[in-house]
Amino acid sequence: MTPALLVLVFVVLGPVLGGLLAGADRIVSARMQGRVGPPLLQPFYDVGKLFQKRVRRVNPVAEPLLIGHVVFMALAGVLVIGGGDLIFAMFVLALAALFLVLAAGSADSPYSNVGAERELVVLLASEPFFILMMAAICKVTGESTFSGVMDSPVRVAVELPGALLAFLFVITIKLRKSPFDISTTHHHPHQELVRGLTSDLSGRQLGWVELAHWYECALLAVFVVLFFNWSAPLGILAFVVAYGLEVLVDNSTSRAKWQLVLRSAWAVTLVLAGGNLLALYVVGV
Amino acid sequence: MSWTVPVLVGLPTVVGAVLLVVRRAPLRNTLVVVASVLVTAASVAAVAVLADRAGDGGAFFGLPGGMTPGYAVLAMDVVLAGTIIGFGVAHRRWFAPLLALAQLGIAGYLELGHHLPHLEADRLFWVDNLSLIMILVIGVVGPLICVHALGYMRDYHRANPMVRGRRTVFFCLLFVFLGAMFGLVITNDLPLMHVFWEVTTLCSFLLIGYTRTTETIGYAFRALNMNMIGGLGFSLAILILAGQRSGVDLARLTAEPVGGLLLAAVALLALAGLTKSAQMPFSDWLIGAMYAPTPTSALLHSSTMVKAGVFLLLRLSPAMTGSTVGTLVAGIGLLTFLFVSAVAITEQNAKKILAYSTIGSLGLVTGCAGVGTAQAVWVGAMIVIFHALAKGLLFLVVGTLENRLHTKDVEYFDTLLSRMPRVSALALVGIAGMFIAPFGVVVAKWAAIRAFLEVPGWTGAAFVVIMAFGSSLTIFYWGKLLIKILSMRAVDPVERALESRVTRFEWVTETTLAVGVVAVTALLAVLSDHVVSPYAAAAFPSGDAAAGVDPVVVGVTLLAVVFLPILAVSAWRRGGFDQADFYAGGRSTRPDHAMGAALGATRSVTLRGYYLDDVVDGALLFRAGSLVCGLALVAMAVVGWVVAA
Amino acid sequence: MSYLRRSPWILHYDGSSCNGCDIEVLACLTPLYDVERFGVVNTGNPKHADILLVTGSVNERNIEIIQNLHRQMPDPKVVVAVGACAVSGGIFARAYNVQGGIDQVIPVDVYAPGCAARPETIIDAVIAGIGVLERKRKVSA
Repeated sequence: MTPALLVLVFVVLGPVLGGLLAGADRIVSARMQGRVGPPLLQPFYDVGKLFQKRVRRVNPVAEPLLIGHVVFMALAGVLVIGGGDLIFAMFVLALAALFLVLAAGSADSPYSNVGAERELVVLLASEPFFILMMAAICKVTGESTFSGVMDSPVRVAVELPGALLAFLFVITIKLRKSPFDISTTHHHPHQELVRGLTSDLSGRQLGWVELAHWYECALLAVFVVLFFNWSAPLGILAFVVAYGLEVLVDNSTSRAKWQLVLRSAWAVTLVLAGGNLLALYVVGV
Repeated sequence: MSWTVPVLVGLPTVVGAVLLVVRRAPLRNTLVVVASVLVTAASVAAVAVLADRAGDGGAFFGLPGGMTPGYAVLAMDVVLAGTIIGFGVAHRRWFAPLLALAQLGIAGYLELGHHLPHLEADRLFWVDNLSLIMILVIGVVGPLICVHALGYMRDYHRANPMVRGRRTVFFCLLFVFLGAMFGLVITNDLPLMHVFWEVTTLCSFLLIGYTRTTETIGYAFRALNMNMIGGLGFSLAILILAGQRSGVDLARLTAEPVGGLLLAAVALLALAGLTKSAQMPFSDWLIGAMYAPTPTSALLHSSTMVKAGVFLLLRLSPAMTGSTVGTLVAGIGLLTFLFVSAVAITEQNAKKILAYSTIGSLGLVTGCAGVGTAQAVWVGAMIVIFHALAKGLLFLVVGTLENRLHTKDVEYFDTLLSRMPRVSALALVGIAGMFIAPFGVVVAKWAAIRAFLEVPGWTGAAFVVIMAFGSSLTIFYWGKLLIKILSMRAVDPVERALESRVTRFEWVTETTLAVGVVAVTALLAVLSDHVVSPYAAAAFPSGDAAAGVDPVVVGVTLLAVVFLPILAVSAWRRGGFDQADFYAGGRSTRPDHAMGAALGATRSVTLRGYYLDDVVDGALLFRAGSLVCGLALVAMAVVGWVVAA
Repeated sequence: MSYLRRSPWILHYDGSSCNGCDIEVLACLTPLYDVERFGVVNTGNPKHADILLVTGSVNERNIEIIQNLHRQMPDPKVVVAVGACAVSGGIFARAYNVQGGIDQVIPVDVYAPGCAARPETIIDAVIAGIGVLERKRKVSA
């Protein structure tokens, strides 16, 4: 497929994939709790509804920031898929995440502020890994674009097993799944956070957040495919398995403190991903 | 083109001297504004004249009529050393005078003993694209800050009646400094460059101690001591080079990778660059320098003087590339970036946050200079440009806030968008320029990672790891500041009126800088193709093709350039929202964000940022970073000694 | 097409009550009743909610809270009063500090009787609330 077509596929099907994933997540979670759970398309109904609701705007800057959140999240994916520089895309991804933080922080209210500051911790915890991961992938393949890596004869996951393991750990943080759901939460109301980041967002504002999250999930799937660059189906299978593990962990743990999130994420990134990259030099690339 | 030197160096110096005797404020205002316009015009004219010939490896020229400085250099050394010794004796501080004596001794020995091989008269000055960049940075940002200072200093003295006004001296120093900076970036003759180098040190010392309290005098001497260590390194390098075939010609020294005694001299010059750029373990002085009036911090300690350090390092880059010295310099720079970025998270004082960020950015440039590839120095030069504009702007904005809010504590900058929307917009542009992808500095960070990936051996990987962690740390402290600025609540009319008291000098200069940040971002590709890439290619002719800018990156950049103003405009579009409508567990809330509490009481909501105290110990990290970088410096000394022996 | 009926998000508030209805509301979320089958989510935040489910009666001190929560819900929205106390004040109706049912302070759309209200009743009430929600959307659109 040409890059232009791939980009189109990502822009259109990315959210579909993300939404289906969220729906499957809710069904699997419900089954783990002995319930039936909602229909598979429930996330789409939810977002559809959110766009039909009125918005109660707390301040005028939140909404443009949220649109920026969606646009730059999609743009990060477009950059990755469409042949942009992979490492540069990681900086765009960080910018997208930052927009959400700012949208929450601009409410200047207790729960949103806690969510925003904690989401900054999430960013601080997860960002080094994504930069390192992309740098390592570019290093082992000698390429800098998606198609380059996919066509490379080098099997990325074989060269970077440590980074792959670390990926499994860090996406728990990136997907804001328990025990690392420190900044917001998908379930369990009545907590110290209320909804953290999204506490003061309503109607379509919340819809933008969900949409961006779907793009993010799709992008994470693309990252896994990068690891399994010799076989895209294997990569998608690996992503499904990884996501299944995330759901299991999500349903069987309680929230950790942010200190633990930060320390463990940095330790894992440094030891597994950093160590992996350094090890490549020791054995010689 | 030989006229450029007397104009660039002479004009600001003469203006400075005149300002020393101008005591009436209106006259001084007029004079400073006119002189600033002239200095900018002179720098632009000089660049226009030099641009053609500077492109390919640079142009060499001398003074008008083939004059040589002769003993003037030694005379200046005597004056400088005398001044430093005078201040040292007056305040009973002996370290700096000792170093000044040592430097004077070296200069005297070389000049009077005729051990110094003088440069040909037409090789005294050397201008290439890097110099042009520096000339424009100094010539555009410098005068703007001087004009800004007119408004700032008036309010500063109103707010601090205890401080004795010495504005004549203050403005004199700013302009003399500008002259010295111009001289520094175009000089090829190392002893002459050393004079300019020491003049900037002295200006910095005098400006930090402006208020003449015990505290600021202490910080002034700390800055002086550390910079004099670098200055002594510079002198020693000249001493070594005097006996070498290449002589004290910077262009010849840095034409290709060097070894032996030459490498030892390069290491000593690099030491001077590291001290001037406040790299660890010398970072302390720049933090102390934040006690100077804010325009000083903007001009000397962020936009220009500290850039002299990395300018020298970038100059030395082709000479030290591939050597252990180069790797150690890169390591010091990048570790400094990592450590100060972490320390900045724990800092609450806005000026100190900016100082740490400045040291970090300079650390990146240092890292790039040490790595020494075409791509790396491209990154270094890009950061120099963006940092000068964006950080200069941020310092000026903080200066404005400081005079209006009477605090430098970022916790009191919250809801700034509601209180001072125009100042907030300027701050947002500055912060965006510093770290929001895909503005300049982020493009540079990304390109730096790309460049470090090409470095052979494990050091390249280590540099990439440092970059990954360091740039995430910067997201945290900038993000925290952005939350403060962007948060909104209803404010009383008194607070809304704060903005109307910002002086015209401040508005004009800050807006100009903000426009500059956006323009440079929009013209990223042009800047790269016509200015920075030719410099990188000339500095590393044998290297790979100089880094260009990905068209995709340019596209994304333009999107952000369009997007952010839309954001700002929509922020001003009021109405349609209810500020009292935040969730507080069902309690009643008010537009000024007070909320109901138990027993009918009303409590105001105070929100604080995260400082990660449990995980990050700022003071400890600062010491640890200084120790690690100090060890690297010792290693550098050992390497220098071994190669020299 | 309306998505409102497929995705009713609930905010549950418990006023002056014996907590009986409160517990029955939570029972609806358990495997036996599993209201998430109908897309119902217990949000815990008025900004996200479509249906305000109130159990217990209104007293002097929670009037403000109930009104604030109701005000902060984005339109369209409905209120469901669950159990005798929420409907009329129940056994607390004559207490010195109790105002009575929820409709004393905010407009109620659906009344679900019972002491305590049975989960089936509560689910029925929510479904009825969805119908009201849909009508309100059409009126405002």
